[in-house]
Amino acid sequence: MTEDARMSTAGPTVARPPMRRLSRARRLRALVAVTVCAALSTLSLAVTMSEMAEAQQLPSPESLKGQSIAVPGGSVRPPAGAVNLPDTTSNAVRRPGQGEGASFPSAPSDTVLGHESVTEGLWDRIRHGQAGESVLTGGERGVLIQSAGEAWRLLRNDQVVRYGGQMLLAVIAAIALFFLVRGRIRIDNGRSGRVIPRFSLAQRIAHWFAAVLFVLLAISGLVILFGKSLLMPVLGPQGFALVASAAMQGHNLFGPLFLPAVLAILVLFIKGNAPRLVDLSWLAKGGGLFGGHASSYKYNAGQKIWFVLTIVLGLAISVSGIVLLFPDTLADRSQAQLANLAHGIAAVIFIAVGIGHAYIGSIGMEGAFEAMAQGTVDENWAREHHDLWYAEHSGEATTDRKRAEVSAAAAGDGIMQGARP
Amino acid sequence: MTVEPGTITPDNRPVDVGAAVTKMEALLGGHIAAYLDACVHCGQCAQACHFHEATKDPRLTPALKLQPMTRVYRRSKAPFSGLRKALGLAPEVTEQDLRAWEPLIFDTCTMCARCTIVCPMAIDIASVVAATRQAFVAAGLGPPDLLEAAENARTRGSPLGLTEAKLADRVEWLADEHETEIPLDKPVAEVLLTVSSIEMMKYPDSVVAMAKLLNAGGVDWTLSSKGYEATNFGVLSGKADIAKLMVERIASAAESVGARIVVVPECGHAYGVLRWTGGNLLGRELPFEVMHITEFLAALKRQGKLRFTPYTDQAVTYHDPCQISRRGGATADARYLLDGFATDFREMTPTGNYNWCCGGGGGVQAMGRAADVRHEVFRIKMAQVEATGAPALVSACANCRLTMDESSAALGWDKELLSIVEMLADHIEGAPNPAE
Amino acid sequence: MSVIEFIEGPLWSFALAVFVLGIAWRIFSLLAMKRPRDLSVAREGAGGVGGATKALVIHSIPHGGNLGRTIYHFVTGYMFHIGLFVLVLFAAPHVAFIQERLIGADIGWPEMPRWAFIVAAEAAFAGLILLYVHRLTDPVKKQLTDIDDHLGVWLTFIVMLTGCLALQEAHAGLRAFHMLTVEALMIYFPFSRLMHAFTFAFARARTGATYGRRGFTP
Repeated sequence: MTEDARMSTAGPTVARPPMRRLSRARRLRALVAVTVCAALSTLSLAVTMSEMAEAQQLPSPESLKGQSIAVPGGSVRPPAGAVNLPDTTSNAVRRPGQGEGASFPSAPSDTVLGHESVTEGLWDRIRHGQAGESVLTGGERGVLIQSAGEAWRLLRNDQVVRYGGQMLLAVIAAIALFFLVRGRIRIDNGRSGRVIPRFSLAQRIAHWFAAVLFVLLAISGLVILFGKSLLMPVLGPQGFALVASAAMQGHNLFGPLFLPAVLAILVLFIKGNAPRLVDLSWLAKGGGLFGGHASSYKYNAGQKIWFVLTIVLGLAISVSGIVLLFPDTLADRSQAQLANLAHGIAAVIFIAVGIGHAYIGSIGMEGAFEAMAQGTVDENWAREHHDLWYAEHSGEATTDRKRAEVSAAAAGDGIMQGARP
Repeated sequence: MTVEPGTITPDNRPVDVGAAVTKMEALLGGHIAAYLDACVHCGQCAQACHFHEATKDPRLTPALKLQPMTRVYRRSKAPFSGLRKALGLAPEVTEQDLRAWEPLIFDTCTMCARCTIVCPMAIDIASVVAATRQAFVAAGLGPPDLLEAAENARTRGSPLGLTEAKLADRVEWLADEHETEIPLDKPVAEVLLTVSSIEMMKYPDSVVAMAKLLNAGGVDWTLSSKGYEATNFGVLSGKADIAKLMVERIASAAESVGARIVVVPECGHAYGVLRWTGGNLLGRELPFEVMHITEFLAALKRQGKLRFTPYTDQAVTYHDPCQISRRGGATADARYLLDGFATDFREMTPTGNYNWCCGGGGGVQAMGRAADVRHEVFRIKMAQVEATGAPALVSACANCRLTMDESSAALGWDKELLSIVEMLADHIEGAPNPAE
Repeated sequence: MSVIEFIEGPLWSFALAVFVLGIAWRIFSLLAMKRPRDLSVAREGAGGVGGATKALVIHSIPHGGNLGRTIYHFVTGYMFHIGLFVLVLFAAPHVAFIQERLIGADIGWPEMPRWAFIVAAEAAFAGLILLYVHRLTDPVKKQLTDIDDHLGVWLTFIVMLTGCLALQEAHAGLRAFHMLTVEALMIYFPFSRLMHAFTFAFARARTGATYGRRGFTP
């Protein structure tokens, strides 16, 4: 075969104008900005992850011994009038469940005045896990105060709120900075006027169904997580009580729908999301965010990571959330506390990455949004961002947008079937 | 919102928008308003429409065909229309709108009523399209060839130019050629047979077949030169005066021979129009019973007046003409005739009242500019037939037959298309079999 | 008069009046329009009344082999509609409201257990979102959609949302907010395609009556 013949079998190729290059200064600025952003995000992510790891091992009641009085925040206080004396005997603390004849000491009438009596140190002992008689049966029988709850409360209200908040702010700041420096990522060669079908109707419906729920759940969830610190000072206790009640009811109602949404995403988007060698070079080139070209098939490495995160975090959030809706199904309180922490931490990470996804899918990149709106993308966009996918589908590029949209709706980037009886 | 200009380039005739609006206002009664009020824009009708399913063109969505009437209704006849108009929420119909809608109303609607089946509101879009066609024609729109066919019917008695003289001529020739008695203008007869000019001009064997069957059944029948044309292009083209004229001709012919029954030949819309709207067009109840030829033959078979030798040549499947089955209600009789006659009869899927249209009903067959889309639509029928494995397709409508013959030729399809009347006529028990 | 009192008092009465009178006017206008008499002779053993009745019933479910083609609308449509009806009519707070404000007496109107109307709410939300997302993306539906479709969906969604936000039944403010959105929906209702809740019956009956006489109700 001659050289010419080989050329001709390659099919019609559109002459490719030289890529517009970002100016050197601009590239440098982008590089710095992105490095800073990435560092910030990684840092907050790392901190959050370590908190999550810590959350996996809630302190045992014994490790809390002697701290109980000195906790910051101090909302768990002995009830007014309770007797609080230094812990004298380590034997006073009994693990819950041991129940070796332990019973709630009967309270003589003089206890309230703090006179010496059998109730001496009672609050402290119970606070440290002394068992007693309770109406509960099963795993938590005999537990009067589940002290791990305090550790959970602190982790959630201090660490998760603080680092989670910082992480979200960092991500928003990073995106804002990136936008200021790099601006909207344009289609370098401009729009070609020809479009290629990309996402099917089923894929887009699953995406937007999940997206609507994501937004509703994120807003209500953020109110629940951060409301006490951010909204209560503004709205006052009564106003916040109203907003918190609304957020909690809405969150609980929409929550269970997120699981089928995530499963639909899993089923409809798994094809094409398996890791490939080219993903490494895409990552090495930073996805072309600072200029340059990074090759990819239908989904680039960033999208694949987002896909995995969506499934993993989505399932974690769904399962922990559903468990929290039905706490009676859990063995004991500590499981609910773990579920709550996992739920909150996974959610904050999900929201943080989700903001990035929403940004790059809309204002961050020219030509990206229409993939999920009309289901089609501009030919030049495909060539610049998904060249290997484009190579497989260049033959489907057409100026007939309506036709491409219909084809995409019916078959995604596949072949639309004809008339059927 | 409006649709973009359709697949067919509109011509440049002057358009009288006011006439269209006036006509729509006049026709817009409670029966149409009930439909316009109920549409929720769910779009499921597209899934049932052969034009949409064959082309996947979203512009060919049946519900869009309600737009002209809806626009007029919301602007001038609907409750709160004054309020809507005052708020600027009821835009006027423009010439551009009418031109954009024209292909929807004419070229890509066979008025088959499949969309009505899937519609959760049961909206009979076909009847709204029929009324809308009248308004478009009043405005000076509509496919020229369809309108010409209607004018032919008015001036020459038949859309294909089958004049009284030509009828007499052809009847004589056919009777001679086939040695069959074909009575024309008998002074008195119990049954008046009508013909479709498509048959007379393109499938004359079909006319002979009807004559043979009626003669064999001992029927007292005649054709009449006062009213012989069964097709009604007045209805198809939206020309109400021609529609009425065609019915009047048949009614006066039937009355002059004292016919108790008028038999409509293998033609879908001829049956639907005469049987179900004939009285309404005439303004009085028809003084005779209207029967499709399959209904009439089924009655003869039931009474034992006609018996057939089995048809064993090949496996056959049956195509339901929309106006006879779904919109006519005579679905069962064709099957009764085929039952025990065609020894290897296979129903296609879907069939009967839910069958797909051939693509040429509602006058679309007569629109030259709709030929390409019609051929695309025929692929659905091809797939249906091929799924049965039968090498032959039988029907009871000359218009379906012509449509399918043309599309078969255009697409190079090799299946045989048969007429149920011709099949039966070739297998009358006691008559010499022409094949022998 | 506080804002909450206004929303739950005079504004409610006004919205109810617009709702009821508006619907009555729409239906009256429809019935008052002339309709041609059908002079054709019905097929033996077939009739308009039977056809109308049949059409009213069978158009509630896909028939004629079209289930596969319309399965998306069938499933999501019913999720939404059944969910909404159950919520509106049988959710405990609604039952109390219906008995106190609309009927004025405890007539033993049945009420669903809480879990059941939570399930109904889930179904209704999922159905509505799925239908709306389909409306925004499906090429056929996009063309048909007008501003009325958007408004109807948004108002319904907001009503359902505010209702679910008030689920704790602990804050008069949330309840009043829900009432306010309901009132907006009720005032919009007679002027909109939401009227299909009533007009569906007229369309179905019309087709059933016309075709029933012919021997087949499509």
